[in-house]
Amino acid sequence: MKEISLNILDIAENSVKAGATLTEISVLEENDTITLVIKDNGSGMTDEVLKTVTNPFYTTRTTRKVGMGLPLLKLEAEMTEGSLTVESKHISEYPNNHGTVVTAVFYKNHIDCTPLGDVVSTMTTLIQGHPDIDFLFVHKTESVEVCLDTREIREVLEGVPLDTYEVIKWIKEFLNEQYIN
Amino acid sequence: MTVESLAKLDGMTPLVLCEPEREIDGVYIGDLLSWVMGNASSGDAWITIMSNINILAVASLSDVSTIVLAEGVALEEAVIATAKEKGINIISSELSTFETAVLLSHFL
Repeated sequence: MKEISLNILDIAENSVKAGATLTEISVLEENDTITLVIKDNGSGMTDEVLKTVTNPFYTTRTTRKVGMGLPLLKLEAEMTEGSLTVESKHISEYPNNHGTVVTAVFYKNHIDCTPLGDVVSTMTTLIQGHPDIDFLFVHKTESVEVCLDTREIREVLEGVPLDTYEVIKWIKEFLNEQYIN
Repeated sequence: MTVESLAKLDGMTPLVLCEPEREIDGVYIGDLLSWVMGNASSGDAWITIMSNINILAVASLSDVSTIVLAEGVALEEAVIATAKEKGINIISSELSTFETAVLLSHFL
């Protein structure tokens, strides 16, 4: 994809579809790498399914026979000499600690590395689209550490839906301010 | 023109011809697979230099008439085998992406 932030949106949607109540997204920039971790507490995948997730002809969708989120992320990470790993615990075997962790490493100095893009918009899009589930977003670079936890916001808001215009606007400003500091 | 007739032109080599009679209605050029998925049209000949197995899924989703692998890029046997299995036409072109497009333009 044109930006890594679009991959984040795509992979996080898988977490939502897997019934996650909490999806943790972390972007860690250190030295010459960008490490993206998307961890959810969704239903997870069986080992059998896990083996096929980076195969472009596998999908959880029923409408088409190919699913491109993870295959594209793998290709894009590997194009920078990086890597993709997917770990998962399926609910049938792990009733209390199921979920999936997707880890992608990009080498940002590689000429084929796409820019990180607008992660703030990615987060507000996710929250707006799924106001009833929680997201924890952490973005660490050498100069900033940005954090957003919808559980904390939810507690303060006392029942005001997260997809309310003012709330989304506030979240956007809250994130942008942290990048300036 | 059909995919088969394109494959017969100078500089073109058929790698997989599952549907030789498929008509080429247009041309799309691109290497960023997610972008191609959203922008290529059904029936297009898709010119690319990407050779990862993901190109087959993109070709299948966007229903292009054939993949044209430009600049003499080689394809792994495993990708060729999967293309046969999924019924996806692939032609290899010795020409540059631009020259391949120019050649195609004479027949559209």
